[in-house]
Amino acid sequence: MMFLSIRQLMARKKQSLLILLGIVIGSSAYVAISGMMLGFQTYMLDQLVNNEAHIRISAREEILTIAEMASYPEASHVFWQIPPSGRKDSTRIEYPLGWFKKLDSDKDVAAYSPQVVAQVIFNKNKITRVGRIIGSQYERQIKVTNIENYMKAGTFKAMGNSGNRIIMGTKLMELLGTRLQETILVSTGHGIPQPFKIVGAFETGIKTIDEGTSFISLADAQKLRGTPSEITDIAVKLFDSNWAEEKSTLWKNNARDKVLSWQESSAAILSVFKTQDIVRNSMTISIILVAGFGIYNILSILVNQKRRDIAILRSMGFSPKDIVQLFFNQGMLLGLIGGAIGLILGFIICTIMSHIEVVPGRMSGPGNYMIISFNIFIYIKAFSIAIFTAIISSIIPAMAGGKLEPMQIIRSGDQ
Amino acid sequence: MIEIKNIIKSFPNTPTPVLKGITLKIEDGDFVSLVGKSGSGKSTLLYIISTLDTPSEGEIFYDSKNLKDFRPEEIYQLRNRNIGFVFQFHYLLTELTAIENILLPARKANEVEKRRDFAMNLLNTVGLEGKAHRYPAELSGGEQQRLAIARALVMEPKYIFADEPTGNLDSANGKIIMDLFKKFNQEKGTTIIYVTHDVDFAEIAKRKINLIDGKLV
Repeated sequence: MMFLSIRQLMARKKQSLLILLGIVIGSSAYVAISGMMLGFQTYMLDQLVNNEAHIRISAREEILTIAEMASYPEASHVFWQIPPSGRKDSTRIEYPLGWFKKLDSDKDVAAYSPQVVAQVIFNKNKITRVGRIIGSQYERQIKVTNIENYMKAGTFKAMGNSGNRIIMGTKLMELLGTRLQETILVSTGHGIPQPFKIVGAFETGIKTIDEGTSFISLADAQKLRGTPSEITDIAVKLFDSNWAEEKSTLWKNNARDKVLSWQESSAAILSVFKTQDIVRNSMTISIILVAGFGIYNILSILVNQKRRDIAILRSMGFSPKDIVQLFFNQGMLLGLIGGAIGLILGFIICTIMSHIEVVPGRMSGPGNYMIISFNIFIYIKAFSIAIFTAIISSIIPAMAGGKLEPMQIIRSGDQ
Repeated sequence: MIEIKNIIKSFPNTPTPVLKGITLKIEDGDFVSLVGKSGSGKSTLLYIISTLDTPSEGEIFYDSKNLKDFRPEEIYQLRNRNIGFVFQFHYLLTELTAIENILLPARKANEVEKRRDFAMNLLNTVGLEGKAHRYPAELSGGEQQRLAIARALVMEPKYIFADEPTGNLDSANGKIIMDLFKKFNQEKGTTIIYVTHDVDFAEIAKRKINLIDGKLV
């Protein structure tokens, strides 16, 4: 029946082209929008997952409550006029060796990096900026994060394991009015500010990191805080970032320290991504739905117009199944051709978009070009949506055509 | 041979049956005209004999095999291989050329290439030489009906059923059609059963069956 289906499609070029156009627009829009959104999401996720840590173990934070006080033996005799409040934070991880042992023996852990994270004041001449420093051992840090990929000047290794050398975000350097090889002062707010020589600069594209974060060696950070041999955080990298949530839940049960997976710390962004996905899918489905209604309407009209053809075909020995096939093929052909053209068009749009230069940091990846995803699943999904729509919208009129009996048509006097 | 026994056909909203117990035999190679006034049931009888319609009561036998015992696929095959239809209106597929229309039944049987030369011969026989690649809209009414006859004959069927095949044509074109039927009946032994209002065309048949109010006369 394919021969006849093609001939009928070709006989109605305008109608067929219009439906085809609907499917092409629907599937190419899906590819282009998904490419753009997923490209951005993938880049952001990569930043979230690999710039920080899959799991961060940090010093505990506790909010004081009356219930907390009930553990004291005299608690039953105490009546609070003003109930206790505030936080009972620890400034360090209580038993880091225990964590190191645990992490060393865990087969899912790829690497970990003990850190000292502290809020500091950067000072250059009269300019002061508040930010944070991450003190780490560079050889461990580069195994946990991909910070090396974002180095704009110098190497991450240059910070060494001591010697007051600092690696700063490019934006922070701009804000401080400083440059490579110059010296700035860093202070935790307690004690005398210490001089650090800038030996490297990085740029992740995330404003908050580039404007407020710097890396120094673990020993220098401990010295700066005046707490030698203490650490505040352990950044952990797993072999698979998707295990982070499950793993952190497991570790939380046996620890007093704070354990946070990247999914928990990026919950707000992940929910934005979910909203983006809903918008993207519903927009595309709306376009494809319109094309689907187009197929349905035109095939329904066609079945009605072709009643006498159905009668003559049935009188020649064509079965009801053949008649269903005749109309179904037309919907499927439109879906297949429209879907395929849509994928090609979508790919071309994505390729063009990936060469568009945008404002650094705004939907741009390294090189300041728009980040576009060319993930094969986008194309598979777009094609499947086009085919699924074509199947659903053509099967109903096709089956209606198959149900027509030749005598029904002949008696109704169709000419 | 087709044998029909005590055929009754009623329609839901009509008080009396259209066909009232018709019994007849049509031998192979027969040339039969079905005549009668409008509403006498001749077209209904033709469609029942030709498997396109079903009787309310009674039985039809094709070469001694009851149609009731045929599976749907067997009925489709019977129509494809052994029966050719010609209707009052040509019922050609407008998207297909003359030769493609003729070969439609062969397409169902997967015999397009096998029957292509025969189809071209048929086209010549019905006087449409040189018009194989014309679309139906480019042919006259008489040519369209001759094309429909060629299509009915392409599978070399045993039976041709025609419902007022000349009803929509002028007398000259009508005569050409009837001459073609006569020719195929004589040369190929095709059994031809046709309904007509035209007294002269009815007389061409070897056997004339007259229906009055759903009964054979």
